[in-house]
Amino acid sequence: MAAIDAPAAARAPREVNRQARTAWCLASPALALMFLILLVPVVVAGVLSFTNYSLGNSGFDWVGFENYDRLFSRSTYEKMFVATFTYVAVVVPISVALGLGAALLVNSLGRIGDVYKTIYFLPVMATLLAMAIVWEFMLHPTIGVINQTLELSCGTFLEVVPFLANGCADGFPLWLGDRDYAIWVLCFIGIWQGFGFNMVLYLAGLTAVHRELYHAAEVDGAKSAWERFRLVTWPALGPTTVFVVTISCIRAFQVFDTVEAFWPQGGGPNKSTYVMMFAIFEKGVQQNLIGIGSAITMLFLVFVMFLTLIQRWLVERKVHY
Amino acid sequence: MAGLSISSVTKRFGDTEVLKGVTLDVADAEFVSLVGPSGCGKSTLLRIIAGLEDPTSGDIAIDGKGVTGMRAADRNLSMVFQSYALYPHLTVAENIAVPLRMRSLTTTQRLPLIGPFLPGAKDQRAEIATAVQKAAEMLEIGPLLDRKPGQLSGGQRQRVALGRALVRDPAAFLLDEPLSNLDAKLRVQTRAEIAQLHRRLNATFIYVTHDQVEAMTMSDRIAVMMGGEILQCDAPSVIYEDPSDIRVAEFIGSPKINILPIELSNAELTLFGQVLGRITEAAQAGIYQLGLRPEALKLTQTEPVMTGTVAHMENLGSEVYAQIALADQTSRVTLRAAPAERHKLQLGAEVGLGLDLQDGLIFDAVGKRQRRIEVAVTHVREVA
Repeated sequence: MAAIDAPAAARAPREVNRQARTAWCLASPALALMFLILLVPVVVAGVLSFTNYSLGNSGFDWVGFENYDRLFSRSTYEKMFVATFTYVAVVVPISVALGLGAALLVNSLGRIGDVYKTIYFLPVMATLLAMAIVWEFMLHPTIGVINQTLELSCGTFLEVVPFLANGCADGFPLWLGDRDYAIWVLCFIGIWQGFGFNMVLYLAGLTAVHRELYHAAEVDGAKSAWERFRLVTWPALGPTTVFVVTISCIRAFQVFDTVEAFWPQGGGPNKSTYVMMFAIFEKGVQQNLIGIGSAITMLFLVFVMFLTLIQRWLVERKVHY
Repeated sequence: MAGLSISSVTKRFGDTEVLKGVTLDVADAEFVSLVGPSGCGKSTLLRIIAGLEDPTSGDIAIDGKGVTGMRAADRNLSMVFQSYALYPHLTVAENIAVPLRMRSLTTTQRLPLIGPFLPGAKDQRAEIATAVQKAAEMLEIGPLLDRKPGQLSGGQRQRVALGRALVRDPAAFLLDEPLSNLDAKLRVQTRAEIAQLHRRLNATFIYVTHDQVEAMTMSDRIAVMMGGEILQCDAPSVIYEDPSDIRVAEFIGSPKINILPIELSNAELTLFGQVLGRITEAAQAGIYQLGLRPEALKLTQTEPVMTGTVAHMENLGSEVYAQIALADQTSRVTLRAAPAERHKLQLGAEVGLGLDLQDGLIFDAVGKRQRRIEVAVTHVREVA
């Protein structure tokens, strides 16, 4: 301000001070709130992760890195990492790819596209906990609609499919009760619920693609849809993709509702769906082991922080032209 | 390089008819401008030639071969877009190389990692690099080859777009208002450069613009379009001096041509009640319109045809334009005068105007040029 305004230059120092004071005054409520409700809890959790504190106890002992040591040595937590990373590694790529595919298809349609948009977005709007209960009914081994439908294939030519033949002979999977299926069912529901959101983000990204670029690509000899996608659409969607992948990763790390609804007693058959958020809830809340719960929380924060940093780095380096 | 022919092309978007039967033949190596006000269908016509839009009816032929219905990628035409349409993620060199990569490399050879190692890819890539280098030198953008379009100025982007068009050897170049995003000074410079480029490449150019100056200065022929039709397609001098439609006369020329109502009866032409002259051949009596370029009007003291007061004056240095509000009329006429006459054109000054009927263009009531009405030389008024 002062640099632009020549007469103001004389009284610049006082002016700048006054402006700085006003700025701090105006920012202080937000700063105080951020400090109180975001940073303090993180610091408290960080401190508690080095203790054996339980809610209601009058005191606690410092245990050093014992909680973290447990996280990396006990088989329960190994299963937690396996379940969490399996979920993230399956759900993120598939839900991003499906979101992009659906967005491209919806975008290529006229008015019917709006109908599809609504249909794909419905699972996002629904309460996941309620949806989980519906899925639980559908996946019930005997009375669930899924196994009953599969049973219809028994005695027909469809039995050539090995999965159906085995099911008809030995009974269809227990789904939620089967440790070979549980995590994949969880992934499926995660994808079903999440890709509509990615689709909406990609649709927004697609509106920013310059139409004339497609014409230029056509004149330049890009004949197939794939070539046009490679040359125009995909590069233009770079910033959107980075954002969508980051958001999907964070959401995948946060999976909890379905696990809690399906297996309230602890992480699925043989802890095959014992994801991080559920572990935090089980240790910190159900079993009142605040120390270990805090340690998992800190680890969770590190993962999310890591993802955010990667996103920032990618956005600055690669995708803005 | 090849000629182009467009025959009775129409285009409708729903109920609106954008092109109403356009026919145009462009010779090999000719520079033709499509000029007209916005919404006249000139860009649509260009996109139909390019193959980006299908005509509702009519045919397009390149070099005598029909291409109607053929997709743009197969037509071997180059196009420069108004927004330049450069690929933002590619460097200048990669942008220029795109048309060659798409045509000379196979899909697998274009793959990012393994593509360069496939058989034949190396030679092709070297050829492409040479062609890009040549195009860049021609347009003097060699130092910019490693930059991204986002780091370039408008004029530089425009050159890159031109480079992408001329890197291969197309049947014709299509340019869609390529100068409209440049500032005035750069526009004049680039105008000359495009004209030079045309002479050097000796290629067919179809150039869409709404700017009559661009059309007048660059083209071999100008096609003036209005309301989805080509009103006239002729050399720039013919378009200016001998327009066949009043809309052409009004569109081309700045300041605009003066249109005054004249009446023909008993072989005499009358303007505001004064007899201007006689015609040589019999013509139907009635109301006509007289078009007079600003340079056809002259300041005069003796027996002026019209009198009026100076309402506005624009001094351009080398010439002076004055708007004269005619006495007893609501209309104004524009007059071009030499700088020496500037002192006579003070605001509010009373002036007399003379004219030479032979410089006038006579149109009928609906605006068609009446070339058959010729004015007898002996009856021209004396002008000072």
